[in-house]
Amino acid sequence: MAIQERIPMREQDPEVRITNFLSVPLGYSAEEAVAEAKRCLQCKVPLCETGCPVRMDIKDIINLIADEKFEEAFLLSKKDNAVPAMTGRVCPQEDQCEGKCVLDKTGQPINIGKLFAFVADWARDNELMDETTPQENGKKVAIVGSGPASITCAVDLRKLGCHVTIFEALHMAGGVLQYGIPAFRLPRDVVDYELSYLEKIGVDIQLNQVVGQNVDFEELKKDYDAIYLATGAGAPRFLNCEGEKLKGVYSANEFLIRVNLMKAYKFPSWDTPIFCGNKVGVIGCGNVAMDSARCAKRLGAKEVYILYRRTKQCAPARAEEIHHAEEEGIIFKEMISPCRMLGNEDGWVTGIEMVKTEFKGTDKSGRPRPVNIEGSEFIMEVDTIINALGTTPNRLFLSNVPELETHSWGGIKVDDNFMTNIPGVFAGGDALSGGSTVIEAMGNGRDAAESINKYLNK
Amino acid sequence: MKHTITRKEDLNAADYVIDVIAPKVAKKFRPGNFAVLITRSNGERIPMSIEKAEGDKITMYIKRLGKTSRELDTWNVGDALYKVIGPMGTPPPLKKYGTVVFASDLVCGHAENNAMCRELKKIEGNHVISIQSFPTKEDVYPEKERAKKDADEYILATGDGSVGRKGHMIDVLQELLEERKIDMVFAGGDIPALQKLSELTKKYNVPVMTTVRQIMVDATGMCGSCRVFIDGEQKLACIDGPMFDGHKVDWEAAISRLAMFKGKEAEAMECYNEKMKAVV
Ligand SMILES: Cc1cc2nc3c(=O)[nH]c(=O)nc-3n(C[C@H](O)[C@H](O)[C@H](O)COP(=O)(O)OP(=O)(O)OC[C@H]3O[C@@H](n4cnc5c(N)ncnc54)[C@H](O)[C@@H]3O)c2cc1C
Ligand SMILES: Cc1cc2nc3c(=O)[nH]c(=O)nc-3n(C[C@H](O)[C@H](O)[C@H](O)COP(=O)(O)OP(=O)(O)OC[C@H]3O[C@@H](n4cnc5c(N)ncnc54)[C@H](O)[C@@H]3O)c2cc1C
Ligand code: FES
Repeated sequence: MAIQERIPMREQDPEVRITNFLSVPLGYSAEEAVAEAKRCLQCKVPLCETGCPVRMDIKDIINLIADEKFEEAFLLSKKDNAVPAMTGRVCPQEDQCEGKCVLDKTGQPINIGKLFAFVADWARDNELMDETTPQENGKKVAIVGSGPASITCAVDLRKLGCHVTIFEALHMAGGVLQYGIPAFRLPRDVVDYELSYLEKIGVDIQLNQVVGQNVDFEELKKDYDAIYLATGAGAPRFLNCEGEKLKGVYSANEFLIRVNLMKAYKFPSWDTPIFCGNKVGVIGCGNVAMDSARCAKRLGAKEVYILYRRTKQCAPARAEEIHHAEEEGIIFKEMISPCRMLGNEDGWVTGIEMVKTEFKGTDKSGRPRPVNIEGSEFIMEVDTIINALGTTPNRLFLSNVPELETHSWGGIKVDDNFMTNIPGVFAGGDALSGGSTVIEAMGNGRDAAESINKYLNK
Repeated sequence: MKHTITRKEDLNAADYVIDVIAPKVAKKFRPGNFAVLITRSNGERIPMSIEKAEGDKITMYIKRLGKTSRELDTWNVGDALYKVIGPMGTPPPLKKYGTVVFASDLVCGHAENNAMCRELKKIEGNHVISIQSFPTKEDVYPEKERAKKDADEYILATGDGSVGRKGHMIDVLQELLEERKIDMVFAGGDIPALQKLSELTKKYNVPVMTTVRQIMVDATGMCGSCRVFIDGEQKLACIDGPMFDGHKVDWEAAISRLAMFKGKEAEAMECYNEKMKAVV
């Protein structure tokens, strides 16, 4: 039997979308979603579910979509995932559910991500919410940070009846979902809607509360029965090479916070400025690099280069992001590594010296290891450099709580139940791992909620 | 939380003082902290040194510089800021230093000067000398807004000598360093001047901590915009500072980076002026 092809996703034309920050995928219509869901083989043993870090009932949800039971599909997806409209858009599905789909071998796995985004969007359009009224249990939990780990932990604990308060340092909630991932991938009305669910079920979100600065950790320990720390990993890593002090050199986080959180793309009607030149070099090839490059393009840069020491086949970015970036004219320069940055007498960056690399053996992650080819240095002219080399755990909170045990690289240490060395204080998300994915952070938040609940009922 | 302005007065033709309701910030304030202001929902996050905290209010000295500071200047008592966040930063330790000087020549420095002297003087064993310099007589802040009452000794200077000593804070400090033993110098204000001041204290082998103002975005240590280089090591002014050992700061980089958005700032100001013209 010939395999029916994936129902294609309608998208904004690349020429048009590089002039705006609107969503690139336009989303499935109900007919398209049903047709895509009907392709599902409804395997006896649904491998897709084993690929999902939060173990969603993928098979049943797809079946409900195929039967046009969108409301039921939505409620079932909400059971294990507080924010399906977001994960449907940003999960690396090719490494998870879709990667495990038996149809993946044919190159045409079910488009699970887009189906889930469809159901969640449908619920939003129809003003449908999962109406849980929790039974109060009298326990109070404080959560530090409002990223995906916190969101999941908060929802789970609230559903169990805890009084949950989230403390967020920034003036908007969502963590990376708000300040990092651009609106053309994750529209902000989607983020706002998903967050409004938390408030609806009674989670108290307190913005502008920097725990360790204006909110005392000691006071939190006194006032709450348990604390969950999910302060993320936003601290930028730099190369520590010559020229990094130059004007025009950004960390990806600065570039993205300016654009996404502070809406610098609307400057000057919004106040925060951004400088983006004509020739932009982005160092790295993960999601963060793709987001930076694609934002730079939208800010009007003529040439945007991804500078990567491996090949894009080894890149950590989602396949869809690389594909979209290529469509948008981002130029991939592979097998090269940065040495130093060059500047003019006014202190502005003018170029970057790169060295060619070759593969020799494999590294710890199992990927081929790039080594520099001596003498192959060359200079590329650029007027903006964006460093997307990864991040390390946020230091602000940690430096205020010296008694909290951490690894040498800054990650918070926890036991098997996600409890830190301070009794009743749990931790999760990127603050533990130093950076992973939205759904891993969520899975982490869910496990921690379970441990916290056990701890509270000890 | 409504961050209402409860006082707004001119300090001189360029600077003004505001008191704003911000109870949590006020409660945790220590001298050397700054606050992050967002005036409107589409505004920038701008750092401002806190001059003092009293009850549920904080006081800040603001220079009319670009769009945000000028627009805020058109607001009145009773108007409210969108967000006031903080206190941010890691202030230097308040302890016994011996004979300790705070020198300032600019709005933020003056605020820090007042704040630090007030607390340093309370510590036994400290002899606190405050130096404040202004360009000319008309620029000198009203007496109640100066560190005079907070320090053991107070030296006012003006560039043209129209009142107080003639010269800049650096000239006054140099005289002091010549005359007597100074154990510690703090300073805040104009960045190039702070570089010179740091070089001066080095000559006399006196330790110095100065504010290294840098452009900030989140001010929570997540963007690296405010990075400064201390003895070759990268630090973040928003969480590790903003006060650093002036002898170790890479001043050239600090001065250069502060000008990164000059072009954009001018554009914002122009747009704002156009808008104001349209209103009139
Ligand atoms: C640009 C970018 C693109 C990405 N793209 C993808 C993608 O496509 N798919 C994917 O799966 N993953 C992606 N990721 C990774 C993913 O976003 C993260 O793994 C995930 O957000 C981690 O969640 P978290 O809850 O641990 O922390 P975060 O989302 O980092 O949230 C932490 C929050 O804690 C707050 N905080 C920190 N300190 C304090 C304090 N002292 N007091 C109060 N609040 C504090 C911070 O302000 C922040 O809001 C991307 C990351 C970035 C930066
Ligand atoms: C720790 C710290 C404490 C400060 N304390 C004071 C103070 O007490 N009083 C005071 O008047 N000013 C203070 N400043 C400077 C103040 O933040 C800027 O003057 C303000 O942001 C200018 O905004 P604007 O729109 O009016 O001007 P713009 O036209 O936007 O900028 C004018 C100049 O201000 C500086 N600046 C602009 N944006 C920022 C930013 N986001 N972060 C830091 N500097 C910026 C730059 O040097 C710029 O060239 C402080 C800055 C820092 C970093
Ligand atoms: S302002 Fe972003 S790290 Fe300091």
